[in-house]
Amino acid sequence: MERGFRMRYFFDIDKFDIDDGSFSTRDDEGIEFSSSSQVREAAIQALPELVRDEWPSRDRRVFTVKVRTPDGRYIFHASLTLVADWLDGPGRIQP
Amino acid sequence: MEIRQMIPSDPHISKLSYGAALSAEDCAELRSIAAVTRAVDGGIDLISVTEKPRNVHLVLDGLACRYKMLEDGRRSIMALLVPGDFCDMHVAILGSMDHSIATLTHCTVVEIGPDKIHDLIRNFPDIIRAMWWATLVDEATLREWIVNNSHRSARKRIAHLFCELYTRMKTVGGVIDGTFRLALTQAVLADILGLSLVHVNRMIQQLRHEGLLAVQGAQITIPDFPALGEMAGFDSTYLHLSRHWAHG
Repeated sequence: MERGFRMRYFFDIDKFDIDDGSFSTRDDEGIEFSSSSQVREAAIQALPELVRDEWPSRDRRVFTVKVRTPDGRYIFHASLTLVADWLDGPGRIQP
Repeated sequence: MEIRQMIPSDPHISKLSYGAALSAEDCAELRSIAAVTRAVDGGIDLISVTEKPRNVHLVLDGLACRYKMLEDGRRSIMALLVPGDFCDMHVAILGSMDHSIATLTHCTVVEIGPDKIHDLIRNFPDIIRAMWWATLVDEATLREWIVNNSHRSARKRIAHLFCELYTRMKTVGGVIDGTFRLALTQAVLADILGLSLVHVNRMIQQLRHEGLLAVQGAQITIPDFPALGEMAGFDSTYLHLSRHWAHG
């Protein structure tokens, strides 16, 4: 991809929760970037922010960012998996 | 609705009138200070880091910011200057700038030299009082941004910033029917809030779907300000708009 030529990319988000099921949000607006490395960086940077803001109450959750071109093709994806487990029996500290 | 002309003239007088009881002479003086303006394109440094500061800048129209560049090339924006905002009445005391001030859009600015500041100090105590008030409000705003950026979720962080900008634009008469004009790009929002572009983009779409915020180019609409303020935990005390001195 040439630098300087800006193209619009759409960042769709999938959240998969082992108990709650899947949620998807579709990006209707998109963001312009001029290189594929910027697109990759932007997708990956968003993941920890998603996890931080939507702190799961459950113990298994997968956050995925999928990058779409204006003609609807997915060209990149990145996922972050959150796994939380009690090591010695469930819920030792009760609320 | 086209609202390009919705910023009234003399936004600096509207703003400073919250900081002190300005007389007709004070207002005439402030009008004469703003008589000589400079048009500056967007993306231009008004003063750059390491430069020796000399003039106080006043933004009459457009949007400017204070920023620093990080060692890895990213930009951090620590303040926005909207119409009516001054920067640093006593900036000439400093030996060199520790940050830069740049226009984000086409701006109309006024440069006030040290001689004029000295003249104001000698002859216009209420203007000076109001400028001190503005400096204190700038510091309070910076404190609020630190709290906002370090402790709020992205969603509340964005909502809080828009509540602040709405309130600031309202004080200079720049809000009509919940709508104001500020050409804030998502890249600028990301650099203010310390968030990724993708997350900013996503949160703005989410707020729009919920009917809390609509951003269309430079036109920003907050249909239900109390609802957005409540969601964000916005309390305007830090903008010090009470005019407490007017009530004894």
